[in-house]
Amino acid sequence: MPEPDLEAALRRQLRELEARLQESEDTLDAIRRGAIDALVVSGGQQHRVYTLESADRPYRVLIEQMREGAVTLSPDGTILYGNHRLSEMLELPQEQVIGRDLGLFLPEGERPVLAWLLREGGRGELTLRGARGGEMPVAASLGWLAVEGEGAVLCGVLSDLSAQRAHLREVSRANALLRAEIAQREAAEAALRQSQKMEAVGQLTGGIAHDFNNLLTGITGSLELMQEAVLRGRIVGLERYVASAMASAHRAAALTHRLLAFSRRQTLAPQPLSPNRLVEGMAELLSRTVGPAIALRTELADDAGTILCDPSQMENALLNLAINARDAMPDGGTLVIGTANVLATPEACREAGMAPGPCVALFVSDTGIGMSPETAARAFDPFFTTKPAGEGTGLGLSMIYGFARQSGGQAMIESALGQGTTVWLYLPRHEGMAEEAPKGAVATPAAGRGETVLLVDDEAVIRMLMGEALRKLGYATLEAADGPTALRLLQGGERLDLMVTDLGLPGGLNGRELAEAARRTQPGLKVLFITGFAEAAGLDARGLDAGTEMLPKPFSLEALATRIRAMLDRPPSPA
Amino acid sequence: MSEAAPYRLRLFVAGSSARSQDMIHALRRTCRQGLGPATELEVVDIFQQPDLAERNGVVAAPTLVRLSPAPVRRLVGDLSDPERVLRAMALGPGAA
Repeated sequence: MPEPDLEAALRRQLRELEARLQESEDTLDAIRRGAIDALVVSGGQQHRVYTLESADRPYRVLIEQMREGAVTLSPDGTILYGNHRLSEMLELPQEQVIGRDLGLFLPEGERPVLAWLLREGGRGELTLRGARGGEMPVAASLGWLAVEGEGAVLCGVLSDLSAQRAHLREVSRANALLRAEIAQREAAEAALRQSQKMEAVGQLTGGIAHDFNNLLTGITGSLELMQEAVLRGRIVGLERYVASAMASAHRAAALTHRLLAFSRRQTLAPQPLSPNRLVEGMAELLSRTVGPAIALRTELADDAGTILCDPSQMENALLNLAINARDAMPDGGTLVIGTANVLATPEACREAGMAPGPCVALFVSDTGIGMSPETAARAFDPFFTTKPAGEGTGLGLSMIYGFARQSGGQAMIESALGQGTTVWLYLPRHEGMAEEAPKGAVATPAAGRGETVLLVDDEAVIRMLMGEALRKLGYATLEAADGPTALRLLQGGERLDLMVTDLGLPGGLNGRELAEAARRTQPGLKVLFITGFAEAAGLDARGLDAGTEMLPKPFSLEALATRIRAMLDRPPSPA
Repeated sequence: MSEAAPYRLRLFVAGSSARSQDMIHALRRTCRQGLGPATELEVVDIFQQPDLAERNGVVAAPTLVRLSPAPVRRLVGDLSDPERVLRAMALGPGAA
């Protein structure tokens, strides 16, 4: 007989079984009636969800409507599914898309790209060729989709790049157009600058030619009168013509000097000098130059020290600046000329294009009309002038700039409209004492004592003049028109006391090379270079060897004789 | 009794759609009214958590599962009829 407990348990079990049976029947019934959206199918560890058509319809509609081509591919590139847009891209009706090889819609050269995308997945750019021949650049993005039991497929999205490409082409066309316009404008600007420069050069050369012709007329006229007088045997009163010819020649020399300064090819004769003493020495002259309406003041720094530069060029520069300052103060004002010790950092020196080290500044400051930033920026340009045509060459400041740069320094302008102008000349500080003005020493007796001087110059007139002058003073002279001739004389055993040579010589040897060769034959030979300009960098007086000096052309025969005497009287330098 | 042990139900759906959202809404109302305000209803997307479907013995979607009170009960298919839902989910009078 069953126990009452057992019976209750059996009844509970029966109810449970009945409920589960009911549940199963309901489930089957729901499936049969299509009341479900999906089935979950289990196989071991894997669970798969089978959706019924109704459940994923929104996604299908979405994919069909999107403006990108959507595709699933088998690993060999066969199209398994393609959306409406893909059939548009391939120019085929939808029913003809499935089962095709996507590679057949690509140019031959791009098939390896597709093969690579099929293997690796990822992104690439392809050109689709439609069935009707249309071409479309597309960005392709392919990814693996693992489907259990069915092998993997790739799903991909193809985006039309035509619009983007067209946009890029448009941009690059616009770019090219812009660049061409810029180039055109730059060319026009360059042409304008060139023509402005040519105009300025024309003006300048015209002016120089005019000045030179005047000076030459003065010289030739004087010479003609002298010749006439000499032919008639009249010598009285000749000095007058000589003096006027000399004066014209000196003015011509000064003119060429200014031009060379502007081109930075002048021969500088730098010497240690005290800027304070220079300014003090010029104050009187400057004061007279600027006139009584302008008060001149000097501001000299006690520690301005010594600089190494050509004193006469520095005087010229200060005079020029003072004249500019005067012109900037038509109603009077104050002109300050001063010196300053400058503690420049190495960076500041580098920026200014100077060798690092302590500097000394000279400045000329006025209370005049000042300059606009545009004018100040161009003030050092050659031919730039704010003065009316015919009143200024535009070379003053550029000459000063050239001089400062050639002396290892820098020139700068500080100015604002209505606020006056200050021009600064920075020069490297020289460690050494300033030489006293060599005024008393000039009158060295020039007479020769039978010393032999070799004169080398390709200009016969200059050789002749030098030779005649030196022989009159008691020197023996030899002459050569070029380097090789001079060397032959030397190697022929001629004993020389001094050689005077032009730096620029024909015949393959320049003056400097000739001097080196001559010193191999005769060590310690004193050499005086004469030159129209310093042909090569480093041939300033600073760059010369011991026993070698430089005399810039044009020079007076007296100056030549004085220099030769002084050189010969100096003890020989150790060879 | 029902105050002490609130119902915990879990609904399995296949993806989210406007239709399933409507259904979930209606179902919540039915449950609160018929099974008490403390009834909890979780919603599981079988695409996202097929493991959970397996663990709860779910073979189709939609399926509503009563997790507690025991015994576990499942209702598959149309859940729009409140009477059908409550008949399947509510503890019967002899089920203590």
